[in-house]
Amino acid sequence: MGLPVGVPVALVPGVLALLPEYASIEDPVAELRAAALSAVGGLGPRVLVVASEATGGSGRRVGEALVAAVGAAVVAGAGAGSCAPDPAMPGSQAHDPAQGATGVLVIGNGSATRTEKAPGHLDERAESFDDAVRAALASLDFTGVDASLAAELWADVEAMRVLPEVVSGPGEICYRDAPFGVAYCVARWAAGDGADRSLTERPADG
Amino acid sequence: MSEMRFGRHRFGDDASLMMAIVNRTPDSFFDQGATWAEDAAFARVAEVVAQGAEIVDIGGIKAAPGVEIGPAEEKARVVDFVARVREHFPEVVISVDTWRAEVGAAVCEAGADLLNDAWGGADPELVDVAASYDVGIVCTHTGGATPRTRPYRVEYDDVMASVLRDTVGYAERALAAGVARESILIDPAHDFGKNTFHSLEVTRRLGEMVETGWPVLVSLSNKDFVGESLGLPVGQRLTGTLAATSVCALAGARVYRVHQVVETRETVDMVASIAGRRAPLRAIRGIQ
Repeated sequence: MGLPVGVPVALVPGVLALLPEYASIEDPVAELRAAALSAVGGLGPRVLVVASEATGGSGRRVGEALVAAVGAAVVAGAGAGSCAPDPAMPGSQAHDPAQGATGVLVIGNGSATRTEKAPGHLDERAESFDDAVRAALASLDFTGVDASLAAELWADVEAMRVLPEVVSGPGEICYRDAPFGVAYCVARWAAGDGADRSLTERPADG
Repeated sequence: MSEMRFGRHRFGDDASLMMAIVNRTPDSFFDQGATWAEDAAFARVAEVVAQGAEIVDIGGIKAAPGVEIGPAEEKARVVDFVARVREHFPEVVISVDTWRAEVGAAVCEAGADLLNDAWGGADPELVDVAASYDVGIVCTHTGGATPRTRPYRVEYDDVMASVLRDTVGYAERALAAGVARESILIDPAHDFGKNTFHSLEVTRRLGEMVETGWPVLVSLSNKDFVGESLGLPVGQRLTGTLAATSVCALAGARVYRVHQVVETRETVDMVASIAGRRAPLRAIRGIQ
């Protein structure tokens, strides 16, 4: 499967609490949800969702729910690391629906080991790992993000590795926090010609 | 489930309501006259409103036999009090526990929104009062008992069949008299004209009342069927009351006449979440 080029891109964590079936009376992730919906809302009417198969593929479901929530449609895509044409599907290259995508939504997050109450308990390496993820988002170079360490820290970074291929314009981090021991980041990149792929971040209190 | 309206107060089809008991009596079984003095009763209203009760149920005569209280005395106990509550707590539904049409009319003039006829239509003109003031009415089952009498060797071929026949019949009579459909509640009236076995069966089969489509009120709080089931005196029946509350909530009861507002609200909310009718308040564990 090919990836669309020259379209806006968003990164959202695969937080199950964003799914309608896990709604509470008081939204525990209201700020994250607002940032995610805003970012996904900028991806146009046909969105390619790129997600890993971590935690049973729940990230893809989160991405598809967000796309639906903004009134857009999901175009057929594939999991992270399977961007090549699928040999089991003859003609998938010739009729690649991803080429009609108006935007790309990447699902992923940093470690889930930031605090003692985090899903994976506290791991002292988590913060520096998440800093490395943050640096990779800025440089669009993920060679410094260790896959085996990511697995140990319950991080979901595989899908992020398509970002260097799909990002074409300047970006900003709209939300970055770890309110429940999991490192969340919502980012959005505008469509561009590839000349400016810089990443800015709003002040935490802004 | 259906929407409900009592006077000018409207509630959505997913609402469960707490009706807090406020006794203007010197001798009711649970509080033993604790709110007999008007200021004490008023403080009780303030307390239960703060606890989130949507309805206060003001009564001037205890249910059990005792000194006869005539209409004039009953009105003296409740009418001015209703007016005072209306003035200070305009957001709360005011229910008055009375079977007398004469008292019903007087409290409606003073601002009542709901007439809780615990004695199952003993006074046939009460529905006309409810209709003329456009307030709600609670249609209870007493098995034909005379007001303020205890059940003695009462038996039914099928207690729930009797409950359904009488409460639905009463509700239809209220509707025909002009009471708005959304202002009518039905109540099996636990322990009224019923022994403990009857009240337990009515609890167990409450879903049959819900299926009629009329919103169901239950009055379980600290009653003798709880006490006899567990061998506990008044004052030690909260756990049993809440267990019965859970069963009725799961079946779909809508209004709960209670002494303990906070505990009952938590119970009803928890059951509603288990039943899938109410989202958790704030769930993040495992889905962050």
